[in-house]
Amino acid sequence: MRRLSILSCLSILISSHVIATTFHITVVTAMDAEQINRGKSFAGIQTKIERPVHRAIDLALSESSTSFRAFNIDPELQRIDLNTEKPIAQQLRSIHPNAFVILDLPKTVFIEAAKLLSEAGRVVINTRHPDTDLRDSLCLPMLYHTIPSQRMYFDALGQFLIYRNWRKVLIVHGPTDEDRDRVRVLEQSLKKFGADISDIREFTLSHHPDDRDKNKPEFLTGGASYDVVAVVDSVRDFGRYIPYSTRRARPVVGDVGLVPVTWHRTLERYGAPQLNERYQIFDGEDLFPASESMSDSEFSAWSAIKLITNSLPIADLTSDVLDPRQILKDPDAQVDLYKGTRGSIRRWNHQLRQPILLTTGDAVIAVAPMPKFLHPKHYTDTLGFDEKESPCRLN
Amino acid sequence: MTIRQHTPLDLLRVLLMAMAFATASVAYSFEALISNERSGDLIHINPQGKTTHVVRICNRPRGMTKGATESDAVIACSDDNMIVVYDRSKRVITSSIESVPGAMNVSFHPTTGRIIVTNEGIAQASVYELDTGRLLAKLPTGLEPDGVVITNDGQTIFVASENAGLVHVFDGTSYQSKGLIRTNLRPRRIALLDQELWVSSEMGSRVEIFHVETLEKLDEVIFAPKGFRPEQMTPVDILFNPSANEAYVALGSANHVAVVDINSREITKYILVGRRAWGLGLSPDGKVLAVLNGLSDDFTFIDLDTKRPLLTKRAGLIPHSIEVFK
Repeated sequence: MRRLSILSCLSILISSHVIATTFHITVVTAMDAEQINRGKSFAGIQTKIERPVHRAIDLALSESSTSFRAFNIDPELQRIDLNTEKPIAQQLRSIHPNAFVILDLPKTVFIEAAKLLSEAGRVVINTRHPDTDLRDSLCLPMLYHTIPSQRMYFDALGQFLIYRNWRKVLIVHGPTDEDRDRVRVLEQSLKKFGADISDIREFTLSHHPDDRDKNKPEFLTGGASYDVVAVVDSVRDFGRYIPYSTRRARPVVGDVGLVPVTWHRTLERYGAPQLNERYQIFDGEDLFPASESMSDSEFSAWSAIKLITNSLPIADLTSDVLDPRQILKDPDAQVDLYKGTRGSIRRWNHQLRQPILLTTGDAVIAVAPMPKFLHPKHYTDTLGFDEKESPCRLN
Repeated sequence: MTIRQHTPLDLLRVLLMAMAFATASVAYSFEALISNERSGDLIHINPQGKTTHVVRICNRPRGMTKGATESDAVIACSDDNMIVVYDRSKRVITSSIESVPGAMNVSFHPTTGRIIVTNEGIAQASVYELDTGRLLAKLPTGLEPDGVVITNDGQTIFVASENAGLVHVFDGTSYQSKGLIRTNLRPRRIALLDQELWVSSEMGSRVEIFHVETLEKLDEVIFAPKGFRPEQMTPVDILFNPSANEAYVALGSANHVAVVDINSREITKYILVGRRAWGLGLSPDGKVLAVLNGLSDDFTFIDLDTKRPLLTKRAGLIPHSIEVFK
């Protein structure tokens, strides 16, 4: 342990209650169901970072240790790695009734586990899937989302394009169902902010000359008038070859080029460099090595823990077990996200509201909401489904 | 006569501006020092807002406070892990304390000659004898300690931990912890007003007021200038002007300074300044408020009689702290 070891030497006088309140956290993974190298189909190399969120959770808990001492909280971390060959209900049975359950699972297993746990009254946190259906149609009363929705990401992009006055958009997308679903969300976002779609074109995973209109970036982006190319390529596969190969000299945005994310290693304000440094030097036990910074899933897992830590002033600490339901229901639950604006929960679909960063590989170009995109109530509520648009009504 | 073409209101405006300018150029006499975090220099500013000297000082100068004499400024050099004492009349560093990890903010206690420094990266504040550079104590805090103050009698030290949402309270003699104040999100700066401790909560968008002895929360001031959403208020520096019964709070991303009545704790005025207003300084006669705008690399002088900005001028890169001397 390096710098963070100082925390463990701290001794702080606690005057309030004597018996500590236990904060149960459970992290559920299913390593056997993970498809590593999802981006291999065309490129043959791994192009998308997907790490378990353990490291970010351990960091968040370590960061919170001073607050936990101040509020006399005793964190208790449980890890469950599911065997998806067997029924999962049995494997989730050991979860404490008041646990704060972070599900780091592939989508199908995620939905199954989230339903089971929500029905049993457990608080379930989605730190991984931006998919809009989890917010709009699944809409479970106990399910909370700290990772931004796809709509929030694309709304940030839509605002940026309008702000830049790049209004004519050519959409190029991959061949999967996920890609097509995300194109629909992108269309909604662009429409919402008043951009025009020049055309929507699908990339074909082949090298054959007969397919050149669909597999060569120069042809795929030819014969259309546009200010910008938006690429939807969920597995980060062909999209990498679009920039610098478009028929017209136009910027590329979306899954490559200018990418909307929730966290980035080069955010240099709002205390972000300190958080990135802590992540890089943090070494707990049995952890994966740090890459340059937290992935969006890791940041969302970190945010989930910090949402509880930062909301301890409103927590009921009279019981010997912390009830995360009580905190999450409180409209004053809030979290310092190191992004210049605090995060809080949207009552209608349990989405954590937050700014979105528009980034390239080595810079944060803008932080959305963009200037002049104003919401009457919450600064960040121009990103994602607003109360009136949301089919999910949990409030 | 061209003046006949203007309406009486225009004439009045011109006259008022002329009066304001006359006051600015005649009545004020002071020198301000600004530490510029990114350009690594100090700039000397005269009452007209003119930069008279640019002095290269160290890597990442941030917190600054007045030292033992009216010509001394004590400056935290974060990336050099160092505290320096700067003589503004000679424009040289007269002494320094080395191996002060991540020195971020600094507070000076004149009667005992001690400084308290927050050590940003290592969750600690430290106490030094300024004259000798002797380390007197290390005070453990939560992560990202920033604002630090010591009471006039030297008996109590307060240190804000941004990450933990706490103000740590230490005995000023034994250096033992004597309590904790739970604050709203991201406590940044602390200011003392008699028995009151004002703490800015940057992400909580408010200033909370606590009792210095009992540590009980007395009140809070929540900001809401027209046209902004609550979470856009990111207050940082707090400054008192007791002769005017006023407190000033720099509202960060809201690009305003709030004027708060010290007695009623009501907000009486919001004044528009530059981008991410954070550092504040007051002229010795209490007539001019200086505001550092961290994202627009400039500073604004505000006339406190009229509560109107007098001028905005260029600073160095990322102006961090300001001290105004006689």
